[in-house]
Amino acid sequence: MTARILVAEDEPFIMESLSFLLRREGYELTAVPNGTRVLDRVQAELPDLVILDAMLPGKDGFAILEDLRRADFGQTLPVLVLTAKGQEADRNRMMALGADAFVTKPFSNQQLLAEIARLLSARNAQGSAKGKPNHGP
Amino acid sequence: MAQRDLADRLGISTAYLSLIENDKRLVAGSLLRQTADALGVDLEFLSASRDARLADDLAELTSALGLGELSGTPSTELASRHPQWARTLISLNRNLQEARDTALALSDRLNRDPALVTLSHQTLTEITAIRSAAEILAQYPTLEADERKRFVDIVATSSDRLTASARAMLDMLEGPDALVPASTPAREVEDFIIDHGNFFAAIEDAAPAIIGQLPEHGLGLSAVLAARLEDRHGVAVRRGNGASPAGGDRIMTIPTGAPEPTVRFTLARELAARELADAIEEIAGQAAFTSREASHRARRALARYGAGTLLMPYDRFHEAAETSRYDLAHLQGSFNASFEQVAHRLVTLRRPGAEGIPFAFVRSDPAGNISKRFSLPGLRMPQFGGACPLWALYAAFASGDRIVSQCVAMPDGQRFVFIARQVRKGAPSSAATEARYAVMLACDAHYAGRLIHADAAGPITQAGWECRSCPRPDCAQRAHPALNLSARPRAVIHNTP
Repeated sequence: MTARILVAEDEPFIMESLSFLLRREGYELTAVPNGTRVLDRVQAELPDLVILDAMLPGKDGFAILEDLRRADFGQTLPVLVLTAKGQEADRNRMMALGADAFVTKPFSNQQLLAEIARLLSARNAQGSAKGKPNHGP
Repeated sequence: MAQRDLADRLGISTAYLSLIENDKRLVAGSLLRQTADALGVDLEFLSASRDARLADDLAELTSALGLGELSGTPSTELASRHPQWARTLISLNRNLQEARDTALALSDRLNRDPALVTLSHQTLTEITAIRSAAEILAQYPTLEADERKRFVDIVATSSDRLTASARAMLDMLEGPDALVPASTPAREVEDFIIDHGNFFAAIEDAAPAIIGQLPEHGLGLSAVLAARLEDRHGVAVRRGNGASPAGGDRIMTIPTGAPEPTVRFTLARELAARELADAIEEIAGQAAFTSREASHRARRALARYGAGTLLMPYDRFHEAAETSRYDLAHLQGSFNASFEQVAHRLVTLRRPGAEGIPFAFVRSDPAGNISKRFSLPGLRMPQFGGACPLWALYAAFASGDRIVSQCVAMPDGQRFVFIARQVRKGAPSSAATEARYAVMLACDAHYAGRLIHADAAGPITQAGWECRSCPRPDCAQRAHPALNLSARPRAVIHNTP
């Protein structure tokens, strides 16, 4: 079964590259360009992974992550945060809110894909332990 | 065939041939044909080696992008089958590297200003878009033509936007209306002093009354100042090391072994803080400082200014400067002051109607950190260090206690005279606690005739402000590549960068 990834990113060009990359790698993708709609879409689609830009219009990555971890559908969902800020403070805050991984902009595609693969395989390992179906690209 | 024989047959020097052989020079057109003829090989053979170079460049690119596993066959294939695309990719990568360097250089200068943070975020976003699209182009050689075009378009558009945001940043940092809010109390006070043109009339006007009350002292001024502090303000002055004992502001400790100019200045500053308090308050009270620390720093800076007015009274100092042709060593002797004190006082000779030469001032440590600076319109001192390495400011560190003078020509033709000297601070007996700085005065070369130090300046140094804005292609001292700012008119330089 194909892994489904929800990408919350407002910059269209970055989104375009991400869409291309993720589809080429065999993932299914849901693109959400606005922070206010992320939570609803996650609830509706229940993806296997969320890629979250820290600086989204409408509602920023910090607030989204906070709400996501409070919701029952988002508690264990792997979240990879894209941040243009390499600052320790932001990372620590995201970490405290429950981010699983960070990729700092400007990222290399390889690095991003490797992080995605890592998070998904960790989720699969957990999933099989609990008897859930495996997801792979 | 020997290298010399081949060079002779091609009508070029062996040195030039050597450059070609080592890929330092491109060979094309008739020279390429002649070379092929001379070597008895066909043109394609030589071109093939160019493909190999192209492939090498591509391999370098993929490894620079962290795509190591793509080096080897695919890059050779791309180079021979799509040489145009290969070259496009290489030049894109070069642009990307430059953009990254630009972003790094600019982020060096970023402070907490929200507008700059937004711009830097934009810059990173564009770089991310470029990098991601460029990597896709490099990584997927089998892209459909329309996909390929789409990602090339993304790179091109993002590059334009990147240029725009980089320019906006530069304008914000240097533009005429762009006052970047001071980020630290120290910088805020620096800006406050620069905004006042380094001249505080209220303090200058109040100082002569105090000077008039001081008894005749010959060279024993420090004793006179100490006595006045004690008599009028109940401040006991003692010599010693370490922190002042309990007693708050009623006891002043002057370090044992401190040179006379330092002792005088310390005492005069204390006296100024007390006796010029009204003038200091009048000036500082009108300024809107953003923090208590900035406000305290400003008052301390004004007290130091006051010390300068007490030790080097305006009219007498101005006259001595003009008659000695701004001989700093002579002024040091006449006023028993340090090089830095004299340099500082020269900067403040801005009284309307009795102006001295307008000087900018900068103080740097040996690592290039700037700890004090006053810019002038058109004469911008670096804010964060990293000025042109050719400046006398840096040569001063290798010149002992000698004053170094220099006449420089900037890339746009402006000329300046620089006068610099190394200064030492701290206990002279203990190397561990001694700090070294270089202090430099700078003025327009227009004033060279009034400056004794310009006589010894030697030939004109072709210098710049700092590497990134300097277009000189052949500078042996270049530390950073020049940013391509050719499309942008030279920024009007204002005293607040």
